[in-house]
Amino acid sequence: MSLAIPNGLDNTVERPGERAPLVLGETDYHEITETVCQVAERKPSTSWVIGFLVSFALLQWLGICILYLIYTGVGVWGNRSPIFWGWPIVNFVFWVGIGHAGTLISAILFLFRQEWRTSINRAAEAMTIFAVACAGTFPGIHVGRAWLAFWLAPYPSLNLWMWPQFRSPLLWDVFAVSTYGTVSLLFWYMGMVPDLATFRDRSKNKWRRMAYGILSLGWSGSSRHWMRYEKAYALLAALAAPLVLSVNTIVSFDFAVSQVPGWHTTIFPPYFVAGAIFSGFAMVLTLMIPSRKMLGLEKLITIRHLDNMCKIILATGSMVGLAYGTEFFIAWYGQVQEEKFAFINRAFGPYWWAYWTMVTCNVISPQLFWVKKFRTTPWIIFIITIFVNIGMWFERFVIVVTSLSRDYVPSAWAYFSPTWVDWSMLIGSFGLFMTLFLLFCRLMPVINMAETKSTLAKQIHLEEHGYGNH
Amino acid sequence: MSEHDTPAVKIADDPAFKLPTSLSSLSMPLCIGGVAVLLIGWACGSSVSAKFGMSAYLTAFMFCLTIVLGSLFFVMIQHLVRAGWSVVVRRIAELYMVMVIPLGVLFLPVLATLLFGNGTLYNWDDPTYAEKNFLPLAIWTEKLRWLNQGWFTVRAIFYFAIWSALAIWYFRQSVEQDETGEKAVSDRMQYWSGPAIMAFCGATSFAAFDWVMSLAPMWFSTMFGVYVFAGSVLAAHCTICITSFTLQRLGALRDEVTVEHYHDLGKFIFGFVFFWSYIAFSQYMLIWYGNIPEETHWIFERQLGAWGWIGIVLILFHWALPFLGTMSRHVRRNAPLITFWAVYLLIMHYVDLYWVIMPEAGSSMGGILGVISSLFCVVGMTAVMIGLVLRVADQTKIAAVRDPRLQESLAFENI
Amino acid sequence: MSENNEKKVHGIVAEYTSVDSLLNACRRVRDAGYKKTDAFAPFAVHGIEKALGIKPTVLPWIVFGCGAVGAIVGLTMQIWMNSIDYPYIISGKPMISLPAFIPVAYELTILFAAFGAFFGMWALNGLPRFSNPIFTDPRFDRVTDDRFFLYIDAKDEQFDEAGVRQLFGDTGTEYIQTVVDDDSSSKVPKGFFIAWAAVIGLSVIPVLVVLKMRLTKSSLPRFHVFFDMDFSPAKDAQQTTTLFADGRAMRPDVAGTVARGDMLIDMDYMTGIDMEALTQVDARRAERLVRSFADPSPQQEGEQPPVADTEETSAPAEKTAEETGVQEEATGETESAAPAAAPSVMDTTPWLTQNPLPLNKQLLERGQTYFGIYCSVCHGLNGGGNGLVNRRAQKILATNWIPPSKLNQPTLAQDVYPDGKLFNTISNGIRKMPGYAAQITTRDRWAIVAYVRALQQSQNASINEVPAAEREAILKQQAEVKKQLEEQAAAEAAQANAEPGDN
Repeated sequence: MSLAIPNGLDNTVERPGERAPLVLGETDYHEITETVCQVAERKPSTSWVIGFLVSFALLQWLGICILYLIYTGVGVWGNRSPIFWGWPIVNFVFWVGIGHAGTLISAILFLFRQEWRTSINRAAEAMTIFAVACAGTFPGIHVGRAWLAFWLAPYPSLNLWMWPQFRSPLLWDVFAVSTYGTVSLLFWYMGMVPDLATFRDRSKNKWRRMAYGILSLGWSGSSRHWMRYEKAYALLAALAAPLVLSVNTIVSFDFAVSQVPGWHTTIFPPYFVAGAIFSGFAMVLTLMIPSRKMLGLEKLITIRHLDNMCKIILATGSMVGLAYGTEFFIAWYGQVQEEKFAFINRAFGPYWWAYWTMVTCNVISPQLFWVKKFRTTPWIIFIITIFVNIGMWFERFVIVVTSLSRDYVPSAWAYFSPTWVDWSMLIGSFGLFMTLFLLFCRLMPVINMAETKSTLAKQIHLEEHGYGNH
Repeated sequence: MSEHDTPAVKIADDPAFKLPTSLSSLSMPLCIGGVAVLLIGWACGSSVSAKFGMSAYLTAFMFCLTIVLGSLFFVMIQHLVRAGWSVVVRRIAELYMVMVIPLGVLFLPVLATLLFGNGTLYNWDDPTYAEKNFLPLAIWTEKLRWLNQGWFTVRAIFYFAIWSALAIWYFRQSVEQDETGEKAVSDRMQYWSGPAIMAFCGATSFAAFDWVMSLAPMWFSTMFGVYVFAGSVLAAHCTICITSFTLQRLGALRDEVTVEHYHDLGKFIFGFVFFWSYIAFSQYMLIWYGNIPEETHWIFERQLGAWGWIGIVLILFHWALPFLGTMSRHVRRNAPLITFWAVYLLIMHYVDLYWVIMPEAGSSMGGILGVISSLFCVVGMTAVMIGLVLRVADQTKIAAVRDPRLQESLAFENI
Repeated sequence: MSENNEKKVHGIVAEYTSVDSLLNACRRVRDAGYKKTDAFAPFAVHGIEKALGIKPTVLPWIVFGCGAVGAIVGLTMQIWMNSIDYPYIISGKPMISLPAFIPVAYELTILFAAFGAFFGMWALNGLPRFSNPIFTDPRFDRVTDDRFFLYIDAKDEQFDEAGVRQLFGDTGTEYIQTVVDDDSSSKVPKGFFIAWAAVIGLSVIPVLVVLKMRLTKSSLPRFHVFFDMDFSPAKDAQQTTTLFADGRAMRPDVAGTVARGDMLIDMDYMTGIDMEALTQVDARRAERLVRSFADPSPQQEGEQPPVADTEETSAPAEKTAEETGVQEEATGETESAAPAAAPSVMDTTPWLTQNPLPLNKQLLERGQTYFGIYCSVCHGLNGGGNGLVNRRAQKILATNWIPPSKLNQPTLAQDVYPDGKLFNTISNGIRKMPGYAAQITTRDRWAIVAYVRALQQSQNASINEVPAAEREAILKQQAEVKKQLEEQAAAEAAQANAEPGDN
């Protein structure tokens, strides 16, 4: 049953005609169960406790800032005429982007039969949901009177007697992000049910067994159930793939349907999608590299997985670079003077530092991944992905702030400066994200055991029978 | 674990890998007939107007070029992701991608029209264009820095150089592997696929700007390259599907291309129908919503008269109908059905290009003569291309017979 | 296993350790003709549907149906809400703007389809189901870890305990067990229900409070969460404040402020009066006039700039003119019947006699345009006093209509009615005619003055004033028009004769 694959094997090398293993070590089904369950079953490590306390403190700080904001008014932000969108929307677009890797790994890589996704998709999906939660916070509080945000829902209002305005891209956003959050949650939860059943069956504690028993809905592993489950999973993947495309497309519509120079350009939809995948993968790697070490998952999340993700970062980073170039070229080719000005202003105006940070981090730093050594050394990947995260935050900053700060009317131009509340909320949103992620690591199966076992089964089958007949 | 039997790998000289003789004898007639039909088409078009004739020619040219570029992309992306399933059909794409060289020759009439006619095809080449359209001189001089005969020619040569280099290199490597079966060849092809795709994307995007978008010199859309690319990859998958079906009907690759491969091709066709619609909708939506005169005129012209109807045809029959038609797994797993949709979508792909290019040749479709001209041009050009594909195919194998992943491809099964 | 005999037997289960042995066993069971069978595994085993003979699921159709419903709901909802129930136009887009409705319809399609896939799958699987006899065996816990099980239900037609055990025994299993009813307590701990009820109860309270507050009436004052949003601390225009020494909330303009467009450059130009001369005649009035232009805020009643130079004496004069319905010049004459009264201020004002703007073609064209827009409706395009409004007034026999002046009459000629006075009349009005200072800029009013002078000249001109080169053409044209008119008249006369019954 067990496979004799040496632990130190370099599975990043793949000879044509052979497939490198995705699960390393003296592994059998039971060992996968053990490796994954120990993460949640053993006592929390000191690093986890410290991490959790820090994140939780930051989350509290975010809460306090939100209360302060609601009590005092949006004037506590740096948002001033004409930059009314400012940091909250920068943070919103940033987090929505982060939230795309999860569904991409789960859905699109699933549709492309990329089996290496199995050991990373669970954590990535969780990140998606937490990132969408962070993202949803910002427009929610940016509406000003946050307690009336429910007016965005199309419900028969008794005191307004009117409906939301469906021709506004901001309302499309509400639908897109909430649909995305819901479907991601369903997808994540559904994928987790068989593993929650494993947790249930391993629980010694009665309460724990009952809690996981309820969450796993009485899953028995029946093959009829598995068949429908697999079908539903494939269908959800097929639905989530166009959904993931649509969400950032609609976020890009927020900008691109307007006439603000630098925003109104048709490449925005695919460019935002590529950027989102780019930033999402960077965030997954940033979190995965320390986690796999701390949680002892190196046999399941192998160097090969990191290598593949780096390649996706390289590909999407280059796409983003091509989009930057195309935008610049068309701004000149189109010969619309406002458009031309907007792009020159981005690169050489008062926010030149933001623009060049963005270009360096997003276009130049991922090019290092052409070198295999960089793709397979975890600490280098970690550093580069942090740069990518910073760069992608700056991309949104450049788009939102530079375009708004200088548009058609020079007398209305202004320079944006964030306040301490802006900073606190950005940092606090990381607190929210990390708190949820750390809780997830402790309470839920961090790796999709069922799918990893099925990958292992294929590996065993190939080993024993090769391609073709059995 | 598989339930049905997997065919064994046949030896390289097996007749299954040889182009059927009924096809190879068609090569010459197709080429000669194609050129004749193309000339008639062009002549008919020129009798409407010189501009109309060349535009019909350009539409046909772009139709073939998009298929060829899509095939080139197909080959490179399969190497990039080390795909196993596609090995049995990859050679078909490889045969189409080398057609970029004859298409380079077929581009010469376009170039000649530019160099010797005053705006016969491209409006910006007309010295009186700015004056006629009341364009500010400052803007127009700046525009002409990009759109001028010399620089345009240099760029066209550059694009063809990139594409040809990639196509020839990949084709040679693949054919070399037919002889040697070296795994190192696959390694090489994979190694270079990343930079190759980047070069390809840059060249293709700018070629789309140059050759199609600049027909309306003042119009611009950053997404236009992606739009052409989406149609191109869709057309390539359709072409591969049709070609392998035809070959199987005539006795080649009988056991090798299975229903699983059609299923996968079908999935990609479905996916790219969606992707094309997504790009087309986004482009339309942003221009429609922004409502800036610099951009809307392009779409406005395409909503007048017959063009408007063609636009509606594109929505209904390039998106809605094939989207629903290829949605079902049963359709994709039925080779004749998915081939029918592939043929249908190639026709729609032509309509798409027609709708993009032809309105620039004048507000009318040129009457009966115009329609005949457009049809003859595209049929002629495609016939020439197929004739040449058959000629190349006759001299080589029609599958990558010693690819190390061939066994995997044969055994491949969809879950 | 005999101790289980008294309990209900649900079926028999066998355990396997590898995928291959499970699949082989499945095929044997299927070939033996068993229908009500099931296999259990820790992951989806590829090929087991065929090995067990499981039919494909209808789930894709459910998902497709839900998606279609989502699309229709999305589109109809938006069309109904934004185009029918509460129609309004946004940025000039049509009422039913399909492109703008597609994103939301698209999202709802996916949302509904995803709900269909998720809930449909659980429903078809009959889950959640928390009590399952197969869980009775503790060994079955390993089904979610690394063991595979094959199960034959007792309801199967061929079921026979010994036969099934025999069959399983042949498949190389190590463990066979009969599945019986669960005899452990099925009671859920009380604490669970208490916690559940507490959570539900607590979460309902805020909702009920809000609902009560929204749906009932109360005589108590409203509860204000955000006091400064309900009662804005910003002051209204006429309120007092303690912030400023003068106690006024509304701040007066800083001294010397000039409203946009009111910056004075040339008083003569702005008023049509020779200010130099006016200072000598009536210094007080000149000063008032300058002040009124420099500071538009009302200093004294009746000193608004537009009527500043016609107030006092000219006001009654105008009134008289209205009452008597005669020309202004005539009014002056009637007033002269009372010699004690001062001469009309209109006559004593030293008007500018010349248009301050240089006369050129451009100015005249400008004047023509504005005359056409503002003046011709009453005064007629040729200044003859018979514009559309006048004709209409005569047609309906308007009783209080004062016919507009004929601009080419001698009393309005430049020597008796100076340019400045004409400018003043245009700016401030006369009799029924309103002032146009608010609508026409100063420059354009002067342009009209220039054009009126040209009109006067053209209406009283003789052929000799036309340049010699063009005289012939005009004479020819005149003759033609005359001939045409005569012919027309003759034709009309003939027609009138031919139809005598008509009149």
